[in-house]
Amino acid sequence: MLESRKNIFCYLMVAPALILVILLGILPMIQSLRMAFVEYNLLTLRTKGTPFVGLDNFEYLFSDSVFIQTLVQTIMFVVIVVGFVIVLGVLAAQVLNRQFVGRTFLRTTFLLPWFIPPVIAAGIWRWLLNTNLSPINSVLSDIGLINGNIGFLTDTTSIGYFSLPMLVVSLVRTWNGLPFVTVMVLAGLQSIPSDIYEAADIDGASSWQKFTRLTLPLLRPVLVVIATLLSISGIGYFEVNYVMTGGGPRDLTNILGVYAYDQAFSFYRFDYAAAASSVILILTSFIAFFYIRYLLKED
Amino acid sequence: MSRVATMSRPDSRLTDTVTFRKRITRIVTIAMVVLLSVFVMIYVLLPIYWMVKSSFQTNFEIRASPPLWFPSSISFQTYADATTVIPIVRYMLNSLFVAGTTAILATMISAMAAYVLARFRFPFARLILVIILFTQLIPHITRVFPIYFFIQDLGLLNTYVGLIFAYTGFSIPYAVLMLQSYFRSSCPPELEEAGMIDGCGYFGAFRRIVLPVSMPGIAAIGTFTFLGAWNDFLWASLLLNRGEMKTLQVGLRDFMGEGGTIANANVFMAACVLATIPAVILFIFLQRHMVSGISAGAIKG
Amino acid sequence: MKKFNPRGFSRRDFLRTAGIGLGGLAVARLPMPVIAQGALDFWTQPYGDTVEWAAFINELAEQFANETGIDVATEVINWDNAANTWLLVSSGGAAPDTADMFWLYTHSAIGGDQFGPLPLTEYQDEYFPDLEERFIAGALSDVFWRGDFYGIPWRGDIRPQIYRTDVFEEFGLEAGPDNWDEIAEYAREMTIRDSSGNVERWGLSFGTATPLQSLLPLYWSAGGEFMTEDGLTATIDNEAMRETLNWMRDRVWVDQVVDPNFMETGYDPEAEFQNGRLAMIMSVSDSYGADLERDYPELNGLWAMAIPPMGPARRASYSGAGYWGVLRGTDQIEESLKWIQFLARDDNMLAFAERTGRVSANRAVMNSEFWQDAEWKRVIVETLDYAHTSQHAAPAWSILVAQARGSVLYDLYYDAVVLQEDIDEVVTRAQQQAQEIMDQAAV
Repeated sequence: MLESRKNIFCYLMVAPALILVILLGILPMIQSLRMAFVEYNLLTLRTKGTPFVGLDNFEYLFSDSVFIQTLVQTIMFVVIVVGFVIVLGVLAAQVLNRQFVGRTFLRTTFLLPWFIPPVIAAGIWRWLLNTNLSPINSVLSDIGLINGNIGFLTDTTSIGYFSLPMLVVSLVRTWNGLPFVTVMVLAGLQSIPSDIYEAADIDGASSWQKFTRLTLPLLRPVLVVIATLLSISGIGYFEVNYVMTGGGPRDLTNILGVYAYDQAFSFYRFDYAAAASSVILILTSFIAFFYIRYLLKED
Repeated sequence: MSRVATMSRPDSRLTDTVTFRKRITRIVTIAMVVLLSVFVMIYVLLPIYWMVKSSFQTNFEIRASPPLWFPSSISFQTYADATTVIPIVRYMLNSLFVAGTTAILATMISAMAAYVLARFRFPFARLILVIILFTQLIPHITRVFPIYFFIQDLGLLNTYVGLIFAYTGFSIPYAVLMLQSYFRSSCPPELEEAGMIDGCGYFGAFRRIVLPVSMPGIAAIGTFTFLGAWNDFLWASLLLNRGEMKTLQVGLRDFMGEGGTIANANVFMAACVLATIPAVILFIFLQRHMVSGISAGAIKG
Repeated sequence: MKKFNPRGFSRRDFLRTAGIGLGGLAVARLPMPVIAQGALDFWTQPYGDTVEWAAFINELAEQFANETGIDVATEVINWDNAANTWLLVSSGGAAPDTADMFWLYTHSAIGGDQFGPLPLTEYQDEYFPDLEERFIAGALSDVFWRGDFYGIPWRGDIRPQIYRTDVFEEFGLEAGPDNWDEIAEYAREMTIRDSSGNVERWGLSFGTATPLQSLLPLYWSAGGEFMTEDGLTATIDNEAMRETLNWMRDRVWVDQVVDPNFMETGYDPEAEFQNGRLAMIMSVSDSYGADLERDYPELNGLWAMAIPPMGPARRASYSGAGYWGVLRGTDQIEESLKWIQFLARDDNMLAFAERTGRVSANRAVMNSEFWQDAEWKRVIVETLDYAHTSQHAAPAWSILVAQARGSVLYDLYYDAVVLQEDIDEVVTRAQQQAQEIMDQAAV
């Protein structure tokens, strides 16, 4: 009796979320995945319809060297961004969690990037990093640090697929995602009871020890979920790269999101875009799998 | 005086060097922290400064080479122009309404789901979590067409309801995942157990004990959801693209000409500055909330 | 056990909820755009100064309503959003009755006989009997597709050269370059590097707008065409293409007078031209003149335009046209046509040109005083003689010229000029790929 009442309560609580997620997430997703196995070319849609083509779309993708490069770079992009954003976010939250005069002011200032629409921010960054017109280059050369302009977004020297433009674009994405992570970590820090630290103080722990032995383990659940969500959304991300470089130079900043976007909206090949999205789905499923395993272990 | 000094010399020299060393390390640490902070602040603020600065310059100054770091004069003409070029206040109200409603709805719905998923064992709980997580696995961009036509079929194109509906749906997965991890880690079950004994039912315990205690997390998620909707361009441009009903992000793009060129770059920058202000104010208000939730003192081991 | 506690809903909660509700109501009650029942829906992209544009369109709509009693609800579709909007319209999304449109061939193909632009051939004689006399031939060709008439071409996009007169004076030059050789020679002289090799001023840029568009007029100048007139056969693999690509490559890598990053997204020749770091641009949009006059009064007298240079075969300017058309699915065809007829009056089209600084497809407008009152305007009128349409009669054309890695012509341009790959190979490959895509879409 009690059990069934509890279950009914649980289902009622979950229902609204579940219904919305199925309507706006699962169903459209199934529809768009179906496109990966048919020919879906907007230009021939009216005349040819959408004949089933099996794995042809995937064959096309994997025979395209740009796609392979894009795939590798996507993983690189996600690793760099998630790494930067978590390290910087945790550090920033440590500072912003202290009591000091002007904390609200500093917090708000630090979180300002969040309030600037990402596409507009990327446009401004593009301007700041334009090889010939960059104010950063102009300052660096005025103080004599550099001799020639740095091609932040155009330098094609690369190690493997790693290049300066990739690093720069990742940093802009980091800039963009930092406030979110900082706030989440701050909220996490808020919920750590202060008497734990008091106990550690009595034991004579140094700040570093307190940070690594207490703070980090207590933040772990928050950090895991942040890392999971950022990796998942990072793999399908496209805005910053699209606006700043369009994937160039020489595809060095191209990532799957940009690739899929171009296939759909520049070439009207929704089938290739859907196939690329399926590849994204496979990658993100890996991450989701580990996340769920982590959740199960926690229980 | 001198005798004391002479007497304690060996000792004091030792401690002196130790404290001296300690002090040096401390100064170096502080210096590094300050240096790092300054560097991070430049990184964070440079584009924002650039935006604000450009809004006060003439188009010619904006484009100058070498770049001009300061406006030659401060005039708010560009801001006045920005409000006449687009009905920016109306756009702000639209965005506030859409993003605000989304934030409240999505956070409420998500908190309910996240709470039971985090706290109770019931059949299919895992499956439900997996379904919710699953929707985040493919990028938005490939869902554009299906969702557009879905909203069109519902007859909700170019209505506030349609856009809020879509945003709420999109924000739920994130919010549920974040909140359920939050409920797991920072909200001790003993609390609501105590509450249940006190006579409130499941829902009562949730509403009167869990929610208040979890305010910092919920405020953070609310902010996040709000800003997600506030900053969105893609969906707003497709689902609500009508005259005065446009959201700020779509309205701002009215400045862009063919091929992405921007006429009146300075006025555009002024409009962008104006566009960030409501979100900043709202955040200042909310972030107090995020801190105060804890000081209510509900959580003590 | 489970009991709803009415006291749990405190006054604070009540006030809060009420506040949110009232706030919502306040917004919901703000004046909605008045869409009169049965009003004609008209969508347009913005041109020139955005404020003035919206005011201008509404003014026209009011005037039209007074004359005919037909209400027009106007909507501005911003450019950032335009391509996706028309893609959706052609795929069955919400559509207006009539609109300012572009890419007729592509959208017709996507829409088939269900969505997208509506053929107006049967109404042509009644509403627009004197098309040939009133409109420029090149622009008219862009509103006919497979024999059908689709609307009135109103705005042109014509691209002359532009150069910094202050830089030219340094070298004692009074006029812009007249042919490819002069361009090469002037650009070499005008490019300045400092002691460590940094470029302080570039001599040349191939063009503004999207980088790929700068390839087109050069290839035409060399005598090339991208496809046959029926839009069925690609004609990329020829001497003209090789000559064009070689000439461009030499400017970038042999003379080093063009920024080798000229195809990257961040390349901004307009900004560099405005701050004096760039001496000349081979093709700029005609509206750039009006933009410079309005936004950069400091530059008055420092720039001038010139007609497109003589290439190995001829002069050619990039030219495009937007048109006013009617959408499939409307039940107000006659009303839409009346509105377009009204917009297309000579005096209204002149007003459009004056507001936007864009060339008109209307002959009377181009002969008017407005297009004669400044040197750069006279150059633009003269450039019209060399207009070459950028709309090729194949639905696949907009895919071939998409500004993205992976599009046939973009790859051709990038591989040949930027990456300096073997030109023969690149050209042969492009020819083959272009033909494949055209065949697919022609089915």
